[in-house]
Amino acid sequence: MSTTVAGDGAAPPLLEVEGLNVSFATSRGPLHAVQDVSLSLAQGKTLGIVGESGSGKTVLSRAIMGLLPRASSTQTGSVRYHGQEILNAPNDELRKLWSTHIAMVFQDPMTSLNPVQRIGHQISEPLKVHLKLPRGEAKETALSLLMQVGIPSPVERYENYPAQLSGGMRQRVMIAIALACAPRLLLADEPTTGLDVTVQAQILDLLGKLQHDRDMAMILVTHDLGVVATRTDEIIVMYAGNVVERAPTKVLFKSMAMPYTEALLNSMPRIANPSHTRLSAIEGRPPDLLHAPAGCPFAPRCPYAQEKCTLEKPPLVEQAPGHSYACWYPLTAENRAAAVGV
Amino acid sequence: MTDTITEPKVVGTEPEPLLSVEDLHVLFHKGNTTVQAVAGITFTMRRGETLGLVGESGCGKSTTGRAVVQVEKATSGKIHFGDLELTSLNRSELRTLRTQVQMIFQDPISSLNPRRKVVDIVAEPLVIWKIGTKEERRQTANAMLDRVGIDPYLHGQRHPREFSGGQCQRISIARALAMKPKLLVCDEIVSALDVSVQAQILNLLEDLKQEYNLTVLFIAHDLAVVKNVSDRVAVMYLGRLCEIAPADLLYESPAHHYTAALLSAAVEPDPEASRTSVPLGGEPPSPINPPSGCRFRTRCPRAEARCAEEVPELRDIAPGHQVACHFPIGT
Repeated sequence: MSTTVAGDGAAPPLLEVEGLNVSFATSRGPLHAVQDVSLSLAQGKTLGIVGESGSGKTVLSRAIMGLLPRASSTQTGSVRYHGQEILNAPNDELRKLWSTHIAMVFQDPMTSLNPVQRIGHQISEPLKVHLKLPRGEAKETALSLLMQVGIPSPVERYENYPAQLSGGMRQRVMIAIALACAPRLLLADEPTTGLDVTVQAQILDLLGKLQHDRDMAMILVTHDLGVVATRTDEIIVMYAGNVVERAPTKVLFKSMAMPYTEALLNSMPRIANPSHTRLSAIEGRPPDLLHAPAGCPFAPRCPYAQEKCTLEKPPLVEQAPGHSYACWYPLTAENRAAAVGV
Repeated sequence: MTDTITEPKVVGTEPEPLLSVEDLHVLFHKGNTTVQAVAGITFTMRRGETLGLVGESGCGKSTTGRAVVQVEKATSGKIHFGDLELTSLNRSELRTLRTQVQMIFQDPISSLNPRRKVVDIVAEPLVIWKIGTKEERRQTANAMLDRVGIDPYLHGQRHPREFSGGQCQRISIARALAMKPKLLVCDEIVSALDVSVQAQILNLLEDLKQEYNLTVLFIAHDLAVVKNVSDRVAVMYLGRLCEIAPADLLYESPAHHYTAALLSAAVEPDPEASRTSVPLGGEPPSPINPPSGCRFRTRCPRAEARCAEEVPELRDIAPGHQVACHFPIGT
């Protein structure tokens, strides 16, 4: 069951993921990193994928992109781009999609660039390889991309090596590379983690603007509910490899149903709260994915858990238009209000 | 969601602060260039208070913390800690100081010796200072581990690699508190942790601060985290202090344009939050060749000619609220 990020209805979704499972072979048995994930995304829309470390959000985005190692991982289910199946597609087929249709901005701008190539070369390379642009034209396009991502004096920067740029500038270069061949879908995996707050705001605004200008779809993967709150149309919350809640952004924040989503939100310190406000921490840790519990993965840490939660895993069910969650005892208006202390 | 702990705080009546930093400079030299990491900052810390030090990378907040614990030598300036003046101490005096001043670092895993058992890691400061018998030291270490939420009987004999980042940070806290220090310097101690674990550590720190009557210098880049734990907050930019104020006041009515820009760039988990932010353009200038006058003037929306000529000194604009700006907001 998949809900489309509210598009104009008739248009087929750009991306459809159905029943995606990813497991890795380890010496201690298979590790189920992503379990039965379905989602879909329409052109021009933004989907946020939120979760803590180990929740499977990065594995999910890499599986969509087709970047997981085939030898050590098993991927089942379906990932369709414009209706075309791309999960487990041969590399040369994927290569035709990469850059020109689907592109990715990686988390770490410090290590994702080639340190011994000038950044101009790294931006113009996809233009030459994928779009077969001649050298001069590729350079012109690369310079205009540098300008679009807000890098001052692009002509000088074109000749720079990554080490000569700051973290924020490098992330801009990463975005320029990802956008070089005008992809229809951009996967941004923690694009601002490790950057300063003012730079983070610049990068997020830049991504939003470019997305709007190009009518591009975007998946924003992050651990920070603050990053996705004002910049996405729909949010998926992941926990221990499972999607535990999915809703349009405003609906999620207004009427979250899954106790984990609430716990995640409440454990964040807020600028709006006075100093020394006691945080409601989630005690314990996420389960070991090698020995996942039989019931709800969040049950051992859940304040509302009952016996059924530890015995039977709740399915992800659409309970209201566009709003799905996997919980036997979801939050209601009453206990949500009590928890927030309204 | 939360209950507020209200602590009655006496403002400005205490005779003498625990720590006072006067015109601290820390310069790094490389070849012909000099990096002004910390370029003249002055602040005091009362006993039992938490001072948050916030700023972006490269602003000198970590260097300030390291100078306070004397891991980094101050180029000039004075650091008074109780009766001691730290910059003039000799080696053995410095060693004694380290029993009273402790530091916790950002990366919880690499700051613990991977080849030692956690109970030995926590007991090590006691061993070095030959405090108590072997048995007493073990008991103290066990008690400390227990206090920070690590079961000493189940997990005391394990090695750091067997623990998660959050648990390693708990062990670091236990080690830092084993000597019952007066001042604790925390340098980005939660920035590597997930939010749910971050909340556990921040709550633990708040509890321990009360229990041990600690004075805490809390260095971090995350504005919400700093506000949560701090009594007062100091904002740094390019080696200098912009503003110091009680935490709630600073976030409510920032007077420095940089503080205001930082606050407007912060993201809150609220879809209704206004995104009217006017994010700062550009990036901080190089600390090798900082702008003349006010260091923020190159990015400041309010800068005038005077800002290029005259360095704004930190001055009082309200009780407890100091700002280094010629044209502070709201005046």
